[in-house]
Parts: sequence; structure tokens; C-alpha cells
Amino acid sequence: METQEIQQIECSHCNGLISINNKYCSICGKEQKKDQTLIDSRKWPGLKQIGLFFAIELTCCVAALSIDNFDISTAIIFDIIMAGTAVLFFSYNWRENAHLLKWPNFSLKKTIICIIISITASIIVQFLVEHLNHSLFNTDYSYYTIYKPHKYGKYIMIISVALFPALFEELAYRGYLMQKLLTIVDKKEAIYITSILFFFMHLSMTSFFWMLPFSIVLAQIRISENTLWYGIIIHFTFNLTVCMMEISTFDTLI
Amino acid sequence: MEYHTNSCPCCNNKHESDDLFCNGCGFPLKGTQQEQDFFYSERNAKEIDLSDLNNNVESARKSLYWIAGLSVISFFVGYFTAKNEQDKFAILFTSVILIGAFLAFGVWSKTKPTAAMISGLSLYVIIHVINAIVDPVTIFSGIILKVIIIVYLIKGIRSVLEVDKLKKELNIN
Repeated sequence: METQEIQQIECSHCNGLISINNKYCSICGKEQKKDQTLIDSRKWPGLKQIGLFFAIELTCCVAALSIDNFDISTAIIFDIIMAGTAVLFFSYNWRENAHLLKWPNFSLKKTIICIIISITASIIVQFLVEHLNHSLFNTDYSYYTIYKPHKYGKYIMIISVALFPALFEELAYRGYLMQKLLTIVDKKEAIYITSILFFFMHLSMTSFFWMLPFSIVLAQIRISENTLWYGIIIHFTFNLTVCMMEISTFDTLI
Repeated sequence: MEYHTNSCPCCNNKHESDDLFCNGCGFPLKGTQQEQDFFYSERNAKEIDLSDLNNNVESARKSLYWIAGLSVISFFVGYFTAKNEQDKFAILFTSVILIGAFLAFGVWSKTKPTAAMISGLSLYVIIHVINAIVDPVTIFSGIILKVIIIVYLIKGIRSVLEVDKLKKELNIN
């Protein structure tokens, strides 16, 4: 006698026994996999929510760009608005996002490797960007000029350039955006869309050569490790190295 | 009627000889002629929808190439009216990247339509928002064309999702 390996389930309509792979019931003809239909029907509203998120982020970034006298207090205001947006969207979808804040399979070795690689990458990128800005546009740009006038400028810079973006950009892009996209498109597309939008939002075309790969790597790590923490650490170390290099060029570290 | 015992006449899916309905598309295998005709007519209606949706996706893909084409025109206008060498260089640099990006999104939309169209739409919106901040008059220049392109892209993205859904329903790849 032939053994039947295929798992059987009850039809959701007539309760007859059918193969788990059936799209339609072979007894009553009704469509199965209603949960799939439900997932499909949530895709467009999900994309609209992403559209809203994108519009808010874009408004903030463009507003920051268009302010002529961008000083330390404007930087802090924009940091808080962006952080608020990230937290709002992440917590609005709390049920699907909460697991990303856990750190399953914590590995000290991996963490140290991440830190070393991001410091090295940051130094290389900083060196290349400096040369690119100098040779292409004949300008030198430094974040520190905004923060320098303040008594605690260097500490505020570390919070505003290293800590806040690491925490809240990861929460927004690799957290909320990627998790939402995973319900709409496949993993690869989610990685690409998240990375491209992350790059666009920085409104800097010249950073194309490093920010897109950087973002793809962060997205890939977030998918494979299923946690935001490696991304946060890499992002923080990368930005902190930039801060340290700028502060050491224009000021003393301590 | 040997043909009917193994594969569905509607979607060619394999089925057992005692199945009343096809487990791939829901075709009434043992139904009356009237029931089968009704099924075919419903399926035809869905196939027409599918073809309309595919046309929307195609239009959205084409609009990515249209944006690249329009960027070429605006490059020539900008480049030859630029006042100095530095402006000319900035226009050349920006245009090369933007034209390249939209062409790349157009090509990419063949394999990854959702990602390419979302990226294309986002970049298009960002460019025009930045232009509007730099020079508010640009909001109104070619506004109809801008709206048409944005609508085509949004319809395209929505259609990709609908196409996936309908293909599952019709059991076609």
C-alpha cells in the first residue's frame, strides 16, 4: 500500500480533509489560506503608512537643510523630532517590532568584530570623503563647527551625531521600516528599499559610494541576527569615530 | 475523457480522479457545463483585470525612463545657461548621477518592480521638494507632468501588489 506523506488539514469551509498545499478545497471548491488573503489585503495600507513615515522624515530632513543659521539648538530640536518620529512609528507597530529589541544569541566576539570593522571603515570613509569634497567641490565640511561654540559642544556633538542617529535611525529604518516592508515584499527587496531610502534621507549624493553599502550591510546584519543591537553598535561606533576625528582635529579630546 | 483525470483543464494543475474541484484554481472538475462556463467567465474577468494591472506596471516602468529623459533635457538647459564653470560642473555631476539612477531603476524594475518603483518615486519626490525649497517657482513648472509621473508610479506600485494577489488566485506564475 502506498503511504501518504502529505499532511492533511480540514477545509475551512466544509471541514473535509484536504492536503495542506491546496489553494482550493478539492471537495467544496472554496479558497483556502485565508490568512494569506489577509496578509495580501494589509500590504497596500502598510505601504501607505510607509509613505506617511517617508513624508515626515523628508519634511524634517529638508527643513533642516533649508535653515540658514543651523546652530546647536536647531540640531537638538531636529534630533528630538526625528527621535520622536522613530519611536512613534516603532511603537505604533509594537507587536510586530518588539522582538527586535531583544538580543538573542549575544556574542561578544561578534560585537568586538563589529566595533573594529566599523572604526576602520569610518576612518577610511572619513579620509575619502575629505578628499572627495576637497577635489570636487573645493570645500571642507565639518560637523564640529556647529557644536564648537558651546561650552559642552563636544559632548553634545557625540549625543547628537553618534548616539541619537545610531539609536533612532536604526529604530526607524532597520526597525520599523524593514519590519513593515517584510510583510509587503521579500527579504532582498526589503533590504534594498530600506537601504536606498536611508541613503536618500541623508540628502547627500556624494555619500553614495559608502552610505549605500554601509546601509545594505546593516540591513543584512539585522535580517540575519534578528536584532537591532548589532546595527546600533556599528552605527554608533562609526559615527563616534567621525566625531572623535573631528574633535581631535579642531580641539582637544578631553 | 482521459485528459480530465490528471490535469485541470483550466490551470493544468495535477489532481486526483475523485476530486470535485481543482485544488489549484477551484475549477469545478465534476460540475455541470453551466457551472464550468460560469467559472471560465469569472476567470476571464480576472485575467482582463490582470492584463490591465500589468499595463499599469508597464506604464510605471516607462515613467522611470521618462524621468531619465526629462533629466537629460533639463541638464542641457541648465548646462548651457550656467553662469560659470563651477555651476556647470555641479549641474554635470548632479545630472549624470540622477540620469544614471533613473535609468538603473528602470532596468531594475524588470526584476524587482516594487523596490525599483518605490526608490524611483522617492528620489523623484525628493528632487522636486529640494528644487522647490531652493527656488519655489519650480513647483509650478511642468506641474501636470510631475503629477502624471507620480500618479503613474503610485499606480504601478499598487498594481504590482495586486498582480501578485491575482496570480495566486488564478494559480499562474
